Amino acid sequence: MKLGPYRLQLQKRLALSSAKAGAISLLAIVAALALFSLLFILADVNPLTAYQKIFSYAFFNRFGLPLTISRFAFLLLASLAFILPFRAGLWNIGMTGQLYLGALAAFAVIFLFKGDPATGVRLPPALLILLMLLAAALGGALYAAIAGFLRGSYGVNEIVVTMILNFIAFWLVSYMIKDGGMFMNPGGRGESFELPAAVRAPMILGAPFTIYLALLLALLITFLFARTRIGYEIKAYGQSPAAARYAGVNTAFLPLLVFLLGGAVAGLAGYHYFAAVPGVYKIARNYGFFGDLAFYGIICGLISRGHPLAAIPVAFLFGGLSIGGRFVQGELNMSFGLDYALLGVLMITLVAFQFFFRYQIAWIKTDKEPRHVGIRN
Amino acid sequence: MPQAILSGIKRGDVVLELRGITKRFPGVLANDQIDFTMRAGEIHAILGENGAGKSTLMNILFGLLQPDEGEIYVGGQKVTFRSPLDAIEMGIGMVHQNRKLVLAHSVIENIVLGHPRAGKILNLTQARAEIEALCRRYGFAVDLDAKVWQLAEGEKQLVEILKSLYRGAKILILDEPTSALAPPETKKLLASIEAMSQDELAIVPFITHKLPIVLATSHRVTVLRQGRVTARLETVHSTEQSLAKEMVGREVIFRLDRVAVARGEPVLQVQNLSARSDRGFMAVKGASFTVHEGEIFGIAGVSGNGQQELAEALTGLRKVEEGKVLLKGEEITHAPARRRWQRGLGYIPSERNTVGSIADFSLIDTVLMNYYFDHDYTPRGLVDYARVRQLTEDLIAEYGVATPGAEVKARNLSGGNLQKMILARVLSRKPRLLIANLPTQGLDVGAIEFVQNKLIAAKRDKAAVLLISEDLDEVLSLSDWVAPMYEGELMGILPGEGALREHVGVLMAGGAKGEEATP
Amino acid sequence: MWEFATRSLEASTIFTFAALGELIGQRSGILNVGVEGAMLFGATLGFIAAQLTGSYLIGLLVGLAIGALLGLLHGFFSITLGGDQVVSGMGIWIVGFGLTTYIGNPYTGPLGMARIPNVFGLSPFVYLGILLVLATWFLFSKTSLGLRIRSVGENPAVAEVSGIDVARTRYFSVILGGMLMGLAGAIYGLSYNPVWNYNFLMGWGFIALALVFFSMWNPWLLLGGAILFGAMWQLSLSPELVLPGFLSRYLWRTVPFVITLLVLFAMSSKWFRGRWGAAKPAALGEPYIKG
Repeated sequence: MKLGPYRLQLQKRLALSSAKAGAISLLAIVAALALFSLLFILADVNPLTAYQKIFSYAFFNRFGLPLTISRFAFLLLASLAFILPFRAGLWNIGMTGQLYLGALAAFAVIFLFKGDPATGVRLPPALLILLMLLAAALGGALYAAIAGFLRGSYGVNEIVVTMILNFIAFWLVSYMIKDGGMFMNPGGRGESFELPAAVRAPMILGAPFTIYLALLLALLITFLFARTRIGYEIKAYGQSPAAARYAGVNTAFLPLLVFLLGGAVAGLAGYHYFAAVPGVYKIARNYGFFGDLAFYGIICGLISRGHPLAAIPVAFLFGGLSIGGRFVQGELNMSFGLDYALLGVLMITLVAFQFFFRYQIAWIKTDKEPRHVGIRN
Repeated sequence: MPQAILSGIKRGDVVLELRGITKRFPGVLANDQIDFTMRAGEIHAILGENGAGKSTLMNILFGLLQPDEGEIYVGGQKVTFRSPLDAIEMGIGMVHQNRKLVLAHSVIENIVLGHPRAGKILNLTQARAEIEALCRRYGFAVDLDAKVWQLAEGEKQLVEILKSLYRGAKILILDEPTSALAPPETKKLLASIEAMSQDELAIVPFITHKLPIVLATSHRVTVLRQGRVTARLETVHSTEQSLAKEMVGREVIFRLDRVAVARGEPVLQVQNLSARSDRGFMAVKGASFTVHEGEIFGIAGVSGNGQQELAEALTGLRKVEEGKVLLKGEEITHAPARRRWQRGLGYIPSERNTVGSIADFSLIDTVLMNYYFDHDYTPRGLVDYARVRQLTEDLIAEYGVATPGAEVKARNLSGGNLQKMILARVLSRKPRLLIANLPTQGLDVGAIEFVQNKLIAAKRDKAAVLLISEDLDEVLSLSDWVAPMYEGELMGILPGEGALREHVGVLMAGGAKGEEATP
Repeated sequence: MWEFATRSLEASTIFTFAALGELIGQRSGILNVGVEGAMLFGATLGFIAAQLTGSYLIGLLVGLAIGALLGLLHGFFSITLGGDQVVSGMGIWIVGFGLTTYIGNPYTGPLGMARIPNVFGLSPFVYLGILLVLATWFLFSKTSLGLRIRSVGENPAVAEVSGIDVARTRYFSVILGGMLMGLAGAIYGLSYNPVWNYNFLMGWGFIALALVFFSMWNPWLLLGGAILFGAMWQLSLSPELVLPGFLSRYLWRTVPFVITLLVLFAMSSKWFRGRWGAAKPAALGEPYIKG
């Protein structure tokens, strides 16, 4: 494309400042929302009205906002679980399975110690809550470790493995909570037993404590990558496994490590949704829906380009969008699955925008350039 | 049929002409008004250093790049090449330095690939007959059903030449035709080139620095420097010195002074070492040698004879199948890489862009690659970035790395500067054993000198240096001991002082084993 | 038992279609981890089209077309834009998962059409699948086009200087591959399991992806793997046909996945890995930038 002495040209970026990367990410989200309005138009809904309803419910409504905040914490944990291996160049798309295993492990603790008629449990509740957290982290970590181990020691593709583990975990949850499974609710509604009131996650300032935990983890992981030796090793491996090996990084252990860490965080996400969010406190019948939500973590991790702090606002926005989307779907009599559709549209827009992280469009003056010689050949 | 342009040409006819070829890249003028004429039956060398504009010119000739200005004439007719296919159709064939062959495919599949007559359903019988006829005509011997990865370098080159000839090439462009060949293979190739030029083929070898080869084969030479033609010479009227001067723009000293250092304790002892290649065959077969303090032990050989695997086995990057490796008397045969670094190993890998550095890392993080395991720089698992930055800035100053600062990413350094940075990083650890794998490959003359002098300085600092190089002259001029390597075996260990070039050359091509010297 | 055999062969056929699609793309160097997404699209849109028109043919064609479109999209991202193929494939999968949930929801439930009649006791797609394996084998070992596709997947730079249009060849392969994936989905939604439900594939695409790795890019080995996996999958869905009263039905559902994991693990053995490394298209997953 030409305009006078200028011509439009694609250039490969040599460097990308974080401000620019942020701007591109923001643009990607805006573009996705614009694209998403097509769905409203197709359903004969004014997109502006729809977005106005989504945002006001998600962020300014006294019923919607707490839901948004809980979902935000969940998405943030899922994003962090994705980011940890992602910075090592590995794809953890198994947050779903890991959070199921985390939830199962946490509920196993209560299953083992329930029974006291007064509180419903046989150990001090504070201790049990701590044990539940540890169990959730451990359950997720050990489950993810399968993928990390296979990748590190045997070079098995982690995408396929984590996805396969998701399906296995999905059916394991069904096995545990349905058809006479060990954790089945005595009422037999295809869901797990409810947590006794004493061991439900405590609230701080009106929100489950897991939200603060998620924010704290985002800070810790930022520090891990910015300042620690192990963070440096992860980054080196992520950029070039061959170079990391040369430098003496243990390339069999490192994938295992990042999956252990990522899986632990995903396990906490499972604890958060099934044991800490008000109104749930059980592994619900539609646990598959919560599992699917974890895929937002992939998009969130990609849009924030692996930076835990950048993931915070993105997770907050996506949390609100998915809550608001579900709300307007009912409000405007739209088809089920609007939040799923949003997931898809966000993802595909993001894929398209990946291009702009690598290239820029510039107007080039077509006059002769000064004569420099050498370098490139 | 466009190839008709070149049918019926006679010896001495002009087959190819370039007029005023100019090519710019952002900020760089790679080719500046290049004129060039080529006649049938002529071998016309194009000589120039890295960065002189050879590759650009070659890619223009072959349609991979399009010139910004200038014209190309084939058989007197003006042509434009939009892609290699156009060039091939005009009868231009190209033999690339980094072989353009599909390794997993058979020789014949490679030769017919993309050929317009290959047909929809592959008919290999007819193709086979034609290719065999070509082989007989020029005396090539190659198994058409072998997979390409099984072939030696020289054979791969023949396959490329055959591919061009099968396509009806009348003009053959050879990129660094002898760079990966051992001396006897080179001889054979030069004979084939002669035979082809007798057959009215025009042959254009592009060569960086092997001046004797230019002198031995070509009829005429065009020298490029900084994107321009600086000389057009008849080969009979030139000497090595005069060519080098035209190419570099100054007189070049061809030999380095040997430094005598008292020999100390043995540092690296390798006993009967064997290791496998990525493809699973034994790439290093029972190598035994010792490197002492204050000496350079040179391994000479053409790439792909197991040097890479040897270096990786010694540095902990490849499993040792058999044998023992001792570093300062301690067995490290199966020790992890980090342990070896901590025990005094320093390794300069041949792949400086993909293994020795990380493109998106700053120079500070690049230096950290050899320091992150050092508790002085990462106390309690936390990186002391102030200290690493200081070290990086010191190294940049000491080694004269041309960079705007320590925050710059490794990808933005030129090859020579990046190699300086890697060298600085590795040597700053004061390694007791330095393994340098092809440390000067692809660098320009100035950087080569710099690197070689640093190796000598390491030797002077009483390090044991293991130098792996394809450049026989480099090995001979730097090393105290020379071990030619061929198909995974060390063919002998000769004192560097007084080793005969020809003798080493024959050994690294698999000639009879030399008498063992005991270092 | 006979019912089990026919059902499991039909399952194998679906794996075969999807995995062959992936194989053709991979042979040209393009990895598409979004098989599941392409299949979901083919299944959902094929299902809707058939229900609206009452024609199986139109349903299958719609599946084919949407598959081609997704192949084109994946090609655009990974060939023209030179992006990360894993990111793009993830995109295909998640967009398939997300959008089909929304689009298909009003059609939840059975297709409500007379079933596609069997031919000699088997689903007609079984025969089509075997023909397709034969055709793919012929393509890669006997034709010039096959050689070009293989070359582009092994070493695109070489193919380019041999005068082959790398981008065109890759587009061709990835679109053809997408068509087969879409068709596989349509067969699933129209013939094998004609009851639409959200995310009703539950992992077929990912097993197909794994199947390509097992097959070492050989269509015959792929067929063998597909037959085994089809049987296993069928067993996990209806274990009562073979082993009544053994294991919970939920645990049965995990069996194909557990076995896939075990096979992946076994494949990492030294013996296997050497052969695998040699068979793997050398440029798989790497964007090719011309020049």
